[in-house]
Amino acid sequence: MEISIEALQVKYLELETLLDFTNNLNSFENTPDLLQEILVKSCGVLNASAGFILLEDSNTDILNIEAHFNINITPLRSIIFNKKKGFVYDIKSIGKTVCLDIDTNVHLSKINAKYAIIAPLQQKKDIIGFIVLLDKESRKGLSAFDDSDSSMISAIASQASTAYSNIQLLEKIQQAKSFNDNVMESIATGVITTNLFGEINHINLTAEKILNKDRTSFIGHHYGFVFDQNESLINLLLESETALEFKSESNLTLDFHGKKTTVNISMSPLLNDQQQHIGTVIAMEDLSNLDKLKSTFQKYVSKQIVDQILINEDLLNLGGQEQEVTILFTDIRGFTAMSEKMVPNEVVDTLNDYFNQMIEVIFKYNGTLDKIIGDALMVVFGAPLPDTNDADNALLTAVEMQEKLVAFNQNRIINGKLPVEIGIGINRGKVISGNIGSSQQMNYTVIGDAVNLASRLCSAAKVGEIIISNSVWENTKEKKKYNCQKLTPIKVKGKSKPIAIRSIQHKKNTEITYLALFEMLESFQTNNIPSSYSYHNIHHIKAVVDAVKFYGKKEQVSKQDLLYLQLAAWLHDIGFVWSPVDHEKKGCEYAKTILTQLGFSIDIIEKINGMIMATKIPQSPKNLLEKIICDADLDYIGKDNYAEISGLLLEEISLKNDISEIDWLIIQKKFLESHTYFTKTAKQLRTKNKNKILVDITNKIEAYHGRS
Amino acid sequence: MSDFKTQVKELNEVIIIETEGYLNNEGGQKVYDICIERMNLGSRKFLINLTGTKVVNSIGVSILIEVIEKLQEVEGKLGYYNMAPIVEKTFHIMGLSKYSSLFKTEESALAEF
Repeated sequence: MEISIEALQVKYLELETLLDFTNNLNSFENTPDLLQEILVKSCGVLNASAGFILLEDSNTDILNIEAHFNINITPLRSIIFNKKKGFVYDIKSIGKTVCLDIDTNVHLSKINAKYAIIAPLQQKKDIIGFIVLLDKESRKGLSAFDDSDSSMISAIASQASTAYSNIQLLEKIQQAKSFNDNVMESIATGVITTNLFGEINHINLTAEKILNKDRTSFIGHHYGFVFDQNESLINLLLESETALEFKSESNLTLDFHGKKTTVNISMSPLLNDQQQHIGTVIAMEDLSNLDKLKSTFQKYVSKQIVDQILINEDLLNLGGQEQEVTILFTDIRGFTAMSEKMVPNEVVDTLNDYFNQMIEVIFKYNGTLDKIIGDALMVVFGAPLPDTNDADNALLTAVEMQEKLVAFNQNRIINGKLPVEIGIGINRGKVISGNIGSSQQMNYTVIGDAVNLASRLCSAAKVGEIIISNSVWENTKEKKKYNCQKLTPIKVKGKSKPIAIRSIQHKKNTEITYLALFEMLESFQTNNIPSSYSYHNIHHIKAVVDAVKFYGKKEQVSKQDLLYLQLAAWLHDIGFVWSPVDHEKKGCEYAKTILTQLGFSIDIIEKINGMIMATKIPQSPKNLLEKIICDADLDYIGKDNYAEISGLLLEEISLKNDISEIDWLIIQKKFLESHTYFTKTAKQLRTKNKNKILVDITNKIEAYHGRS
Repeated sequence: MSDFKTQVKELNEVIIIETEGYLNNEGGQKVYDICIERMNLGSRKFLINLTGTKVVNSIGVSILIEVIEKLQEVEGKLGYYNMAPIVEKTFHIMGLSKYSSLFKTEESALAEF
């Protein structure tokens, strides 16, 4: 057999081409370039005059021309290559390379060619397309493809199929990556990934914004370097890496290049398909905007309402709508006159301090601060979020506002400032709620008659009084909590009939309030009576409180009077906080302020103050309660510990006046001689001992004179 | 069927044929015809600029060998430049580089001619 050099060269070229395919086809990054390269090289190596590549359309039965070479494309495009018909169907059925005489194939007759060789492209076992080469060239003219060509094109098609599958996979991976990147870039959560070595290899746009620096500053750097200012974040990462567990932290404040950011952060170990650790995913949710939104909202409504609105915006109706709400008005009584005695800064400070305290209570009971009008507050319950407990919440708010004011005023009184006194009015009814205003300024508010009436009730309320309308009382679920007193109906501007009103007081103002009040008075005096008072201090006050309880029970006073006695005992020397001079009078002023704010009636306040004033030496009790407190105040002079207690009194007096031993004995003698117990109990229990003490002192005086 | 195109220019007695498309039987024949025509007019030096030819088959190469044989008869010569790597490789394998010159650029080709 003789083989020509040219034939050998052609075989060599074929082998080289095949090797080229093997080496180079996987270097293509997109399908069109790959297919064109396959086609062109196939034509070249097989001496085909033209060719094209068909690929299945995943959505139809039609195969599309994905590459063509050296062929008039117009007639080619007019052929429908249906995988269920014609030569495509035939070759798919055969499943291997086929040489065709086009003259005998009706389907390909539009192509200006005589011969074809068609090699299937396969993905796994499925035929997904064909390489079609046309008209084998020779110097003698065109010829049909032979078995050798068939082997060659089959080998090329096999390589091409692999390369095509690879590139399809690559394209899918790139699409998935692109999709993933797009998702990552568009989500509001910051996502950072690290590799096994802790180096950051991905940062999305949100994370970039949170980190407050361009992502190129972080990529490739170890997280320890990137987050060096945030030990808590690094520790969390280390914990996640060590335990290979999900870790998270809420409301973590981080410092990213000078910008403090609060985030919710989580760390998840990144595992490969063999469950091996290959890095960590850090997800962070920037709470700054949420915080801003919350802080803006929280100026007007409670945190709970803000959270509810943020969870479900549908709850929020800012458009105009009619709804039933409870409106509370409160204002400071005589603030104008009060402010005239203050410098402007003090007026502002006073109002701000007062509002801070009151608004805290308002939000505690889900009230919406509608307006601050000078020294007045307008609060709405039941809007913008409807609340079935709006009336109850308004009453609880009013009661607690009064209680807060007591402590607030204590501080003011200690600092020599005038106490703040308020009245409260509450009404319930239909209002129009929504954003009301102009396009330049729009505020959420409620308007309507019910609002006006609430304001009128506030004006009608005396200092320390909570006045409510019938509609509030009718809608109050926990009526048992309050003492409710019907008042004379009031005439209101714009209303033809007088409006029925009630005054309410929380029942806890009986026992629970007394106990709380006693605790507060004890704490106040413990902290504020100067330590130089050896006698007039908290120990004496507590001794008097114990004594009134003892005498009260012995004298069989009512349970309520026993509480009044204790209250007076706690207050009888409170004036020492400011000065021993006229301390009873000062104590009465304080008692009036505090008790008024707590809703005590004037009669009761006068009763308490009567007891306080009765203890002024010389004692002047006018009724049993005053007699009891007077005896309790000087209980010690008829008791065994007289010497010890009087010694404390001497110590206190000696700070201002130098008193000799004999002078002190004479003072005591005169005091004891002039003193008398007023109650039967004290007379029975203390007189004998007091007289004995008097004798002892008299003896000491005589002994002193005998010595001298 | 073929979309093979040529442009011919003469520079310093060198005929430069610029090709575009598949240098196969048809393309090769066009080149052959141009060369014979110009040889008959007295030209002896031919350069083929293969910038627009990305693929060549063995038939195209064998036609070029025929052109070389004709030129050898009149002591003429043929050269090529601006070849795609696959074309250059094919020329080497088919032995074309033994009988004709391969250049990188027109300047280097003209300098040799």
